[in-house]
Amino acid sequence: MRHEDTGNTENTENTDMLTARALVKSYGGVKALDGADIRLRGGEVHALVGENGAGKSTLVRILSGTLAPDDGSVLLADEARAGGIAVVSQELSLFPDLSVRENLFPHRPPRRFGLLDRGAMDRAARPVLAELGLDVDPRTLLGELPLADQQLTEIARALLRRPRVLVLDEPTSALSAAAVDRLERVLRTLTGRGIAILYVTHFLEEVMRFAQRVTVLRDGRVTLAGVRREETGVPDLVTAMLGGTPPLPVHRTRAPAEGPPPVVLAGVCVPGRLTDVTFTVRAGEVVGVAGLQGAGHLDALAVVCGRTAVSAGRVHVGDRGLPRSLRQAVRAGVAFVPSDRKRYGLMTDRTVWENATAVSWLALGRGGVMPSRSELVRRTLDLTERLRLRGGPHDVVTRLSGGNQQKVVFAKWLATDPRIVVLDDPTRGVDVGVRAEMHRIVGELAAGGAAVLVASTDLAELTELCDRVLVFVRGRLTGEVSGGRLTEHELAAAMQAGADLRAGPRGEGPATAGG
Amino acid sequence: MTETDRAVDDAERAREQGGRGRRFALPSGRPWAGRLAPRWLPDELGVLVVLALLVAGIGIPYPDFLDSDNLLTTAHNSVYISLMACGMVFALAMREVDLSVGGSYAMCLVVGALLVREGVAPWSAVPLVLLTGIALGVFNALVTTLLALPSFIVTLGTLMLFRGVGLALADGKQITDLPLDDSFFTLAGGDAGGVPFALWVLLAVVAVLTVVLARTRFGARVRAIGSNPDAAEFSGIPVFRTRVQALALSGLTTACAATLALAYYGAGDPTLGQGYELQAIAACIIGGTPLAGGRGSAVGAVAGAMILSVVASGLVFFEVPINWTSFATGGVILVAVAADSALRRGGRRGR
Repeated sequence: MRHEDTGNTENTENTDMLTARALVKSYGGVKALDGADIRLRGGEVHALVGENGAGKSTLVRILSGTLAPDDGSVLLADEARAGGIAVVSQELSLFPDLSVRENLFPHRPPRRFGLLDRGAMDRAARPVLAELGLDVDPRTLLGELPLADQQLTEIARALLRRPRVLVLDEPTSALSAAAVDRLERVLRTLTGRGIAILYVTHFLEEVMRFAQRVTVLRDGRVTLAGVRREETGVPDLVTAMLGGTPPLPVHRTRAPAEGPPPVVLAGVCVPGRLTDVTFTVRAGEVVGVAGLQGAGHLDALAVVCGRTAVSAGRVHVGDRGLPRSLRQAVRAGVAFVPSDRKRYGLMTDRTVWENATAVSWLALGRGGVMPSRSELVRRTLDLTERLRLRGGPHDVVTRLSGGNQQKVVFAKWLATDPRIVVLDDPTRGVDVGVRAEMHRIVGELAAGGAAVLVASTDLAELTELCDRVLVFVRGRLTGEVSGGRLTEHELAAAMQAGADLRAGPRGEGPATAGG
Repeated sequence: MTETDRAVDDAERAREQGGRGRRFALPSGRPWAGRLAPRWLPDELGVLVVLALLVAGIGIPYPDFLDSDNLLTTAHNSVYISLMACGMVFALAMREVDLSVGGSYAMCLVVGALLVREGVAPWSAVPLVLLTGIALGVFNALVTTLLALPSFIVTLGTLMLFRGVGLALADGKQITDLPLDDSFFTLAGGDAGGVPFALWVLLAVVAVLTVVLARTRFGARVRAIGSNPDAAEFSGIPVFRTRVQALALSGLTTACAATLALAYYGAGDPTLGQGYELQAIAACIIGGTPLAGGRGSAVGAVAGAMILSVVASGLVFFEVPINWTSFATGGVILVAVAADSALRRGGRRGR
């Protein structure tokens, strides 16, 4: 990446602090960025929006210098070069067991006689903390702070490097309404000092509230380039994000089976997560759940998978009641494809066949105490052929591509003939071809009489896969979108409904929904 | 008497006997390694090569070392550690540690000796001792699960707990006056077909446990949990039950070692087995079972224990002063682990 000089400018207000031109970045055959431009001006909040996979994260990583573009350039104004670009990422990169003070100076803490100079640390930190309105004792352990304060600590840490460009990557995704108000004041203070802020977000209300300009990415291209807030509106932004003409809803002729539904939740409450949630999923049906982060849709999946205790209500999964553990859920016929497949889905250092038999043989005992290995491999081969997995049963999983790894996760559950299939972001990080194949498999599962529940950060996926989508807002089931209304626009609107009150039932606290 | 001390004694005896047994000298212990290596390639190959090199390295300057009596004695000395290491492999492969084996060993030994002294037929006492070992392992697993603590901490506690029970039961003294003419002591404590009975038991245990770990559902569960505990939980694998089984197995092989020790020594010494837990873990690691879990090898663990035993006995031949034996043993452990991992890395690159 080239950081080139531009002409000297005396006034920091409203001058270009950073200019990126024609950035291109490909991963394998997939173009994450395809000629993206962006210009950040001092003293402005510039919002960057786009769907998941639109290229926002790639752009942020190129701007911050952690990723080199294949083509294009990033130009930084002279005055911005000293402080550089500070990034506050959506996953906090803080040390919960250290004090706030120690977290603020991770690289070169001020020292005296070779020991940490706490006084100097506090003197440097105090004005920054005061500016952010973060009134905490610097000796407090960071992990004891509420999430919003942890985030401000991270912003403070970034500001201590005196950057002229600050990137906030989805800073409000886990914040309460009060904390978002405070963040707004912080943004105003920072822009008042002439700092250029790039504000990456999902929430369009925030764009309209905080930002002076907005850039929209779709499929690695800029579809709306740095327009002023006054010149646009939420409908325009949605169109820019999702594409010009909304695709017609896909019509399906799936008929849910008669008989008792395999998944029933009635009046289910989970303290701080779910309030009075009632829904059923019938055999042969594909039902989506949608919501903003922390809205409770993932908690509903966790209940079905036996990962969450329920304080009130009735739950019926398979032929049994509430599963009290993952194992009970699996025995009741639940298959769970987690979003983080490396952590929860796979033994990456093992072969395909060992992974593919991990549920059917190891958990459910099909095959007995000591089946022949060739029998296990043969069963795996049937599955890998059905899934068109590229790789043999004896290949080690870590050597497969992301899409093929996800197929291994599917294979281990398909081996059990599950009655209830729970998918959390089933096509995260896989290419378009694999995505289509996954959708085909899900369709086959439903046709075979499975009840399917899907969550996805990709709204298009929900509209393509689902017969109906349940929308959650602040822990409540607030609506259902189905049939001809099942479009990304409808879903986005339903999810954002009441988002300005996004205090959440849990209020301000470090707890986040399990994912 | 620690294992090292005993090895030193035995090796000195062999040295004093001079060239008497030279005509039975084996080439270098290599045929053993040569036959096993291809089937278990590449995991156990490194450690078996190290073992063979060690035997050759001592045997070439000191051919007396290769005397079959000496080799069998050296192997016999490692049996107790070997058996514990075989069970420990299962604990390590599922990311648990069983530090209590030294204490369980002493307690099982005392329980066995007391039963026999109180008139239980020695052969009938065997299943009771084995059950005691299983019970101790189950206890470890239950406490680990109930307190939600790492098994490392729990078994560190039960190590002393079990040894304490042994000491209390034995009143701090050796339990003697056992009917040493019983067939239990003469057969299980003696030789069968020219080879110590204990070695036959070890051979059988290794064979069974190798199959159990590699081929059975239980073994596959152990490796799956060690490979990725979260994914195992999310797959519905019964983690708790598998932990109970693995630690019970560790207790069982320890009790097995205690039974053989009772038969061999003909007495119940509650102070036996000090530090055996660390030697067993060292044997496992030398044998290619990583502390990070997911893999394991009973064959490798036994080879690791043999290496420790060969080193102890070899030091005598090299006339290393007795106070330096611990130092030398530690050095050899490091060299063996380093050589094994280097060989394995090389092997992986070669493929």
